[in-house]
Amino acid sequence: MGRLRTIARRSFLIGSVAIAGGVAFGTYMVRKTPDNPLIDDLAEGSATFNPWVMVSDEKVTLIVPHADTGQGVASMQAALIAEELDIELGQFEIDFGSPSAAYYNTASAGEIVPFMSTDKGFQAETMRTVMGAAVKVLGVQLTGGSTSAPDSYHKLRMAGACARETLKLAASQKSGIPADQLKTANGAVQLPDGRSLNYTELASIAAGIDPVEDVELRDPSSWRLVGQDMARLDVVAKSTGTMAYGIDLYLDDMVMGTVKLNPRKGAPLQGFDASDAEGMAGVQKVVPVTNGVAVLASNTWLAFQAAEAISFDWATAEYPAEQSDHWAEVEASFTDDRLDAQWRNEGDVETALAQGEVFEAEYRTPYVAHQPLEPLSAIVKVTDDQVEVWATHQLPRFLQQKVAAITGHDDEQIIFHNQFGGGSFGHRLEFENITVTAEVANQMRGTPVKLTFSREEDFVQDFPRQIGISRGRGAVADGQVTSMDLQVATVSSSRSQADRLGQPLPGADAQIVAGAWDLPYKIPNHRVRAYAVPGLAPTSSWRSVGASTGGFYADSFLDELIHLAGADPLEERIRLMDDDVSRKVLEEIGQLSNWGSPLGETQGRGVAFVHSFGVPVAEVVEVTNTDAGIRLDKAYVVADVGKVIDPVMFDNMMKGGLIWGLGHAMNSEITYADGMAEQTNYHAHEGLRLYQTPDIVTLGLENGEEVKGIGEPPVPPAAPALANAIFAATGQRIREMPFHNHIDFV
Amino acid sequence: MKLTVNGEPHDVSVPDDMPLLWVLRDELKITGVKYGCGIAQCGACTVHIDGQAVRSCQVAISDVQGEITTIEGLRTPDSLHVVQEAWIEKQVAQCGYCQSGQIMQAAALLDVNPAPSDAQIDAVMSGNLCRCGTYPRIRDAIKSASAKLEG
Amino acid sequence: MKSPIIAMCLAALLTAPAFAEGEVVEINPPAEGTVTVEEGLQAWARIYEVTSHPRCSNCHVGASNRPMWSGPSYGKTRPHGMNINAGDSRIGAEFVPCATCHALRETGGNDMPHAAPQVAMDWQLAPVEAEWFGKSAAEICAQLSDTERNGGRSFLEIADHLDHDLILHWAWSPGGDREPAPYSLQEHVNDVLSWGVAGMPCPSE
Repeated sequence: MGRLRTIARRSFLIGSVAIAGGVAFGTYMVRKTPDNPLIDDLAEGSATFNPWVMVSDEKVTLIVPHADTGQGVASMQAALIAEELDIELGQFEIDFGSPSAAYYNTASAGEIVPFMSTDKGFQAETMRTVMGAAVKVLGVQLTGGSTSAPDSYHKLRMAGACARETLKLAASQKSGIPADQLKTANGAVQLPDGRSLNYTELASIAAGIDPVEDVELRDPSSWRLVGQDMARLDVVAKSTGTMAYGIDLYLDDMVMGTVKLNPRKGAPLQGFDASDAEGMAGVQKVVPVTNGVAVLASNTWLAFQAAEAISFDWATAEYPAEQSDHWAEVEASFTDDRLDAQWRNEGDVETALAQGEVFEAEYRTPYVAHQPLEPLSAIVKVTDDQVEVWATHQLPRFLQQKVAAITGHDDEQIIFHNQFGGGSFGHRLEFENITVTAEVANQMRGTPVKLTFSREEDFVQDFPRQIGISRGRGAVADGQVTSMDLQVATVSSSRSQADRLGQPLPGADAQIVAGAWDLPYKIPNHRVRAYAVPGLAPTSSWRSVGASTGGFYADSFLDELIHLAGADPLEERIRLMDDDVSRKVLEEIGQLSNWGSPLGETQGRGVAFVHSFGVPVAEVVEVTNTDAGIRLDKAYVVADVGKVIDPVMFDNMMKGGLIWGLGHAMNSEITYADGMAEQTNYHAHEGLRLYQTPDIVTLGLENGEEVKGIGEPPVPPAAPALANAIFAATGQRIREMPFHNHIDFV
Repeated sequence: MKLTVNGEPHDVSVPDDMPLLWVLRDELKITGVKYGCGIAQCGACTVHIDGQAVRSCQVAISDVQGEITTIEGLRTPDSLHVVQEAWIEKQVAQCGYCQSGQIMQAAALLDVNPAPSDAQIDAVMSGNLCRCGTYPRIRDAIKSASAKLEG
Repeated sequence: MKSPIIAMCLAALLTAPAFAEGEVVEINPPAEGTVTVEEGLQAWARIYEVTSHPRCSNCHVGASNRPMWSGPSYGKTRPHGMNINAGDSRIGAEFVPCATCHALRETGGNDMPHAAPQVAMDWQLAPVEAEWFGKSAAEICAQLSDTERNGGRSFLEIADHLDHDLILHWAWSPGGDREPAPYSLQEHVNDVLSWGVAGMPCPSE
């Protein structure tokens, strides 16, 4: 591991916590939590035992501090607490809580450290521990990097257990029966004589007791909730139109509006003429903001109309105006001075490829937008004493800083009401919707201001996924893959994002080669080098981040080499696999997909394997080559997350991740012309629709030692599995997304 | 301008060309109907006008003829609509933002065709975009609702 | 199962198109014998530019019942997105009615870029016999001059139809940054009349 030391030192950086994530730590010690933020506003007679559980004489409230943007994290977190608290779904309320250091993400340090997540060596583990401590000190409350499950798995069960034991002490005081004779069930302490005391009855007594901190977690064999199919807490609201998202809130005396910012992202506004707009129906005010203007009106649609009637003089972008120049910059980045890091170098690639036949191939991945279906919006109300913000955000503590810098308040005076989000996929790690609304509200103190982005504005202001190119060189011998040399050049999304957070990120960016360098294969000669492309459009974390591109490069190229070697794509991957958990995943995908069974003449089957966020995932896609284009027939997904917390939600995430990966690989790209994104609505960037969705079968394995999240890991293998299947069906190798530029789909 | 939404009469004073979507949301605060794209590409704003599914972002308020039903009015006071029951049973929603529109479109489908084929489901439901990828469960839920209607 | 087609037709009757909207077209055919066959073929060439233009041909599709997306606004030619199938009804009654998005709009077109085009009548595909998409000038000419396949229309009745169908008017004022059909509606009507007076000559393949 000596070769990694330099990188390790350089990577000892905090900023990238905001972006990456993925490894669980050992048992979390509740007593070492920073101050419990629930204490400040605790009502008389209410009790709180830790930052996650609060009991009043009326209700039990569980705090679920990760933003729920559809991944069901609120239900998952609540279930973990409820499991140990012996309370049933429906007997408590949930609250997203306030931004607090207490809710720092223990798991988000994992992907900062430059070790393969399958590497459990001393140095790798030490570094993870150190980074975990740093995250804790800084109080980074992140939802991202598929870290919610690993962050929560021990911590929240512990929180539930501590609260339960404290409530038993309160019941003991009230009843005079020793605590060790008490049991808990159904939201109440059960007395030996059959009577029970509801937790709410015990709140005032419990408030006077020091919380119990020394508890043991229950054996998984006794779990009632975890590992069982759970009904999401929000499913009824989301099936009846009664779920209120941030965009659905209307406060008294609130003004509404929209915003138009320079579509050449980050460049200023030099001037504008709003004289036509100001006279339009319902328009109240046109307010300059950083890099643009906000339009306030009596109705959001009227504001949209008025914003279109403003003429703007926009400054030009700092990045190239035309897409071809973006590609040219990536192509020019395979140079020594742009080498970001050499991530692995086993055997002797140079010597191996200097003799005999070398196979070369190049892969391209364009910018892609996030575009969750709920458009960006925010409500901000500024008074002299405090600022209230209603929105959905994955980095609430940074949000406080950003708003405070605008209004001049202290961070603690920024009250953030995190809302259920209508999707994110990384979109709600950015701040423009919050900051422009805060700028306007700060000029109208006392009045709540709600700004909603039009879909078109949301598209042009989206910070897309990194653009990139990968070049592979490789060789085969005797039916086996013997050499693989991968160069990856992408924009560093981590660095782009860190810069916007005011946390510059020197050192290597592991995300450039995520999903490409850390595949646990043992190939005799194997090298992966990362190159950072400077000066292009600002980019951001997009569901599965670097692995969404890196996984496509590495697995596609490996598949090409395997075909070149004349080996079976699945058998050769299994033969090369150097990690037991991952090998099992590959073996199981073979079983599940009935790999090797005969297909029709026009059909093809492709397999892909990517290891990301600590989760090994294998996918098989089956396609038919019809007269009108490629039809996706079936898909199979196998992943090992250590423990499947909720099988229903797991299945939903596995399918959703696959669909996300397929749809964008097939149908979506962002291109720039005149410095602006050319795709401004879903007609030009639609992801996957229902008719193109294959039948999908999923399987969760639990051989891994640690609990992992599943929000992102199913994404990266989707694109290579499909490309590999198309090759099997047609002989045509697709090396560039979106695939529909090269082949039709039906 | 007068309109009837979920059985309730309303009178709004807005420009003739304001889309029904924005009358429902910003004027009447009926928020189950969602703004997603504004150009009939996502279906999140789907409502029924006299039982027919329409994209409310595409209907000028002055062109509305008939009674409007939104997701809030799909159920009766006593029970959920069979499609809503199926959506809950199959745990369809992830972020949930598109599901009002999906449910309204599916309800309109089953109203005229209680036993749709797979191809018909694929044809009818592909105008409703789901960014989370809940499509497999949408198919399951429609079949489940269909089985109840048929059964 | 209720009959979706009957329901849709009733809806169409109740919302009969407002003919007051759209450009006023004059139908003044040249006198018999004043247009040569050669002039008629030149008129046909211009007519073909119109019939093969995306504003017209995208909805003049055959028995697939699938409208197309093609032309400058769409990039690569492809079937209408969202897996749209207008069905044998040609109004989408079997699947998603066209009117779900292409709603009736009394005040004329829908100018929002990339939104669903709308007019003051129910959106629909042309009859399956009038399949123009991807067809040659000779094929389209043969169809238009064949009363078995053109709705039993004389050339005068074709011109009259152009005057009365608001979707056809829309092709010359599509809004939303779409490219209109070439020439003007009046010029197109004049070409149809000239072509008719010349005896509806068709080019050879």
